[in-house]
Amino acid sequence: MITVHNLHKDYGKKSVLTNVSLAFPKGCITSLIGPNGAGKSTLLMMMAKLLEPSSGHVSFDGQNISDIRTAEYAHHVATLRQSPGFNLRLTVEELISFGRFPYSRGSLTKQDSQIIDEAIDFLALEDLRHAYLDELSGGQRQMAFLAMTIAQQTDVLLLDEPLNNLDMKHAVQIMQALRRLCDEQKRTVILVIHDINFAANYSDHIVALKNGALSFSGPAEQVVTETNLGNLYELNFEIIRSKRGCLCNYFN
Amino acid sequence: MNTTVKIWITSILILVLALTFLLIGSGLDFDYLIPKRLLRLTTIVLGSICLAFSAILFQTIVGNRILAPSVMGYEAVYLLWQVLLLSILGAHGLAMLSVNGNFLISIALMLVYSWALHYWLLPRCKNDVYMLLLFGLVLTMVLGTATQYIQLSISPGEFSIFQGLSYTSFNRSNPETLLYGVLTVAVVLWIGRKTLPVLDVLSLGREQSMSLGVNHPQYVRLYLALIAILVAVSTSLIGPTAFMGVFIANIAYALAGSNKHKVILPIGCAVSIIIFLVAQLFVEHVFNYKTSVSILVNLVCGIYFLTLIARTRGTS
Amino acid sequence: MMLRLSGLFAMLCIASLMIGAQQLVWSDVFDSSKSAWLTLTASRIPRLVALVLTGVGLSVSGVILQHIVRNKFVEPATSGGLDAAKLGVLVALTMLPGASTSSKMLFAMAFCFAASLLFIAIISRIQFKNTVLIPVLGLMYGSVLSAIAEFYAYKNNILQSMQGWLLGDFSRVVQGHYELIYIILPIIILAYLYAHRFTVLGMGEEMSTSLGLGYASTAALGLILVAVTVAASVITIGAIPFVGLVIPNLVALKYGENLSRTLPIVALGGACLLLLCDIFGRLILYPFEVPIGLTAGGVGGVMFLILIMRGAR
Repeated sequence: MITVHNLHKDYGKKSVLTNVSLAFPKGCITSLIGPNGAGKSTLLMMMAKLLEPSSGHVSFDGQNISDIRTAEYAHHVATLRQSPGFNLRLTVEELISFGRFPYSRGSLTKQDSQIIDEAIDFLALEDLRHAYLDELSGGQRQMAFLAMTIAQQTDVLLLDEPLNNLDMKHAVQIMQALRRLCDEQKRTVILVIHDINFAANYSDHIVALKNGALSFSGPAEQVVTETNLGNLYELNFEIIRSKRGCLCNYFN
Repeated sequence: MNTTVKIWITSILILVLALTFLLIGSGLDFDYLIPKRLLRLTTIVLGSICLAFSAILFQTIVGNRILAPSVMGYEAVYLLWQVLLLSILGAHGLAMLSVNGNFLISIALMLVYSWALHYWLLPRCKNDVYMLLLFGLVLTMVLGTATQYIQLSISPGEFSIFQGLSYTSFNRSNPETLLYGVLTVAVVLWIGRKTLPVLDVLSLGREQSMSLGVNHPQYVRLYLALIAILVAVSTSLIGPTAFMGVFIANIAYALAGSNKHKVILPIGCAVSIIIFLVAQLFVEHVFNYKTSVSILVNLVCGIYFLTLIARTRGTS
Repeated sequence: MMLRLSGLFAMLCIASLMIGAQQLVWSDVFDSSKSAWLTLTASRIPRLVALVLTGVGLSVSGVILQHIVRNKFVEPATSGGLDAAKLGVLVALTMLPGASTSSKMLFAMAFCFAASLLFIAIISRIQFKNTVLIPVLGLMYGSVLSAIAEFYAYKNNILQSMQGWLLGDFSRVVQGHYELIYIILPIIILAYLYAHRFTVLGMGEEMSTSLGLGYASTAALGLILVAVTVAASVITIGAIPFVGLVIPNLVALKYGENLSRTLPIVALGGACLLLLCDIFGRLILYPFEVPIGLTAGGVGGVMFLILIMRGAR
């Protein structure tokens, strides 16, 4: 599984991540939380092999990821950046089929098509199958990209703010899908997320970063406390627990 | 450095350059060489005034600093019109039309183009300067293609008349056209003279100037007309200038250190005169006619413009 | 759709063979009457082949470049590649007088490749990404490159001839003087084999990496394909702007941008556009010919303007 060891990242003189060591549990949803500029996305990008650490290393199943070839790594870890800024005119189905690229390198087998169909079913995208991406709403687009990442059939999914700019309904849909991915398919999901309530209610494990350093980490039910969150965000928190989960109130 | 000092320095620089240009290697030949050069010098000065005024006025009205009439296709329209006239009327017919007639019709055409640009294109690209710029550049290329196409169908004799028109050069004017040019520009300057303070208000944008009590649409129409006339004069005198206008205007803003058009406009003219004189001196005495003003100007201003756009962010 | 396009293509091919200053009567050809046969093999067929290959090559290289730069308004003419290739030919001509076609080709290719790399380096340093800013920069960059070329040509007194032979023109294509264009054939095949990867490239560096594609090497391959195509077409035909821009954009509107599916349509579309422009250019001032650089530049330019205005709305 993914572990990071003494990770540092500097941009020029400014260091955005200092001495972070972590182990991400298998088959769980882990949320990376923290204020803006805490280094969450930087950490995620280094785990995705999209960014070189200044020092320290990331290992996957005990192997240093810089020793793993990019083409090989794509079989194990799939990454989705926030709002992938491309304007290619592809249909939803075509986009999802690119999730099979690491295996097929372009020529789809029968098995590939089946996996694509499963990904479409999984997120209930059948109606949008032949729609072009640029004709979709933000939430639908995000679902399509997630389906592509799912079709990559990797053990680990790294998602950078998958809920960005989504309405409540789509946000819940995406989080429920991630939950099912974990529970039904035993995949590991690591995501950067800003909404503390989504993080608290849907994730098994929470990693909190502040100013480039680890603030706290642990199972969600243990670390989501008024003191922890209050220190992390420098706000007053009230945590209301009920049958339907917990509600973190920081509005006043 | 305050404004007076700047004006003195630029004036002296222009004077020195102008005298160098007139006298260098002339052997004080007052019969032929110097009158010829005097003609070119006048062309440079007049062309510079037209170029600087049209570019700066245009930028004020459009409200950004990377556009100029030449980039927006004005010159291409003028050249296309000239070659069209030539192909319809022939060299003989063009002579019949006389310089005046041609000039008036050209100005009318430029006016129509200005208005089309301002009332059709600008509202459509309001939020995107680069869109306008791309449109202008591609339109210039398309009109250039059309011009070349018509050139193919006219006779070689007529072709040579036109050939000279499509490069920046100071050698094509004769005393008669120059005189008309001077008169036209004098009239334009006289009309524009009183409205200088209004220009400063216009640069604040439409809404702001309206709320300050300036009749924005009316002044925009007036200035578009003046710009059309100036571009027609400059293109007929010195040919197309491509990115020169943007170059001059931006240097003028930097040097002027003021937003007052009373300061910017004269500095723009001075910058333009200096650049043209230097380029011409280089061509005549350094490169020994192994290059042309047109190429030098394209090279230097093109590189400048490239870096200008690469640095500019957003819609300013 | 492919069927209709192929039908149009076949019709245009036949029309292209029939039209020309020399009247061609089909029965003569089958009579093996010598002059008609000669017209066909020495001029018409080479011209047709060159037209089709250039059209396909230019539109394919346009679409590849658009995926690499990730901008729909980019093609060799709006990224400096075309002007760089011209400059390369010019340098080859002056530095190695009596340069062979292949050395001209090498120079043009190297210049085009280097200029495209430089362009990509320039735009990757710009923070402010705007869809129309990139082609504006590219056009400016191209005009600086061609100002350098003019400076150089003027100094060496070949400006006049340069302007003549750099305008795209198929009338020079006759047997024995166009065979270089066949180099586009393997390029098209390679482009087709790599179509899927180029689409992944179009999703950006991060997405490609997370899909396990070697971004830099694939992009470099794409640029080489583009450089070879542009160099070959500039040397045998001359510069033809906007074909690589207009066709991919029109195809994308209707069929999307999944290259493994749309590349054949793009290719056929490019060939059809060039054939149409060529037939038009041959007929409009009959029996004189308007160089294709002008007709394609005009038609392509107007279509480009329409595309820009569509984007504005």
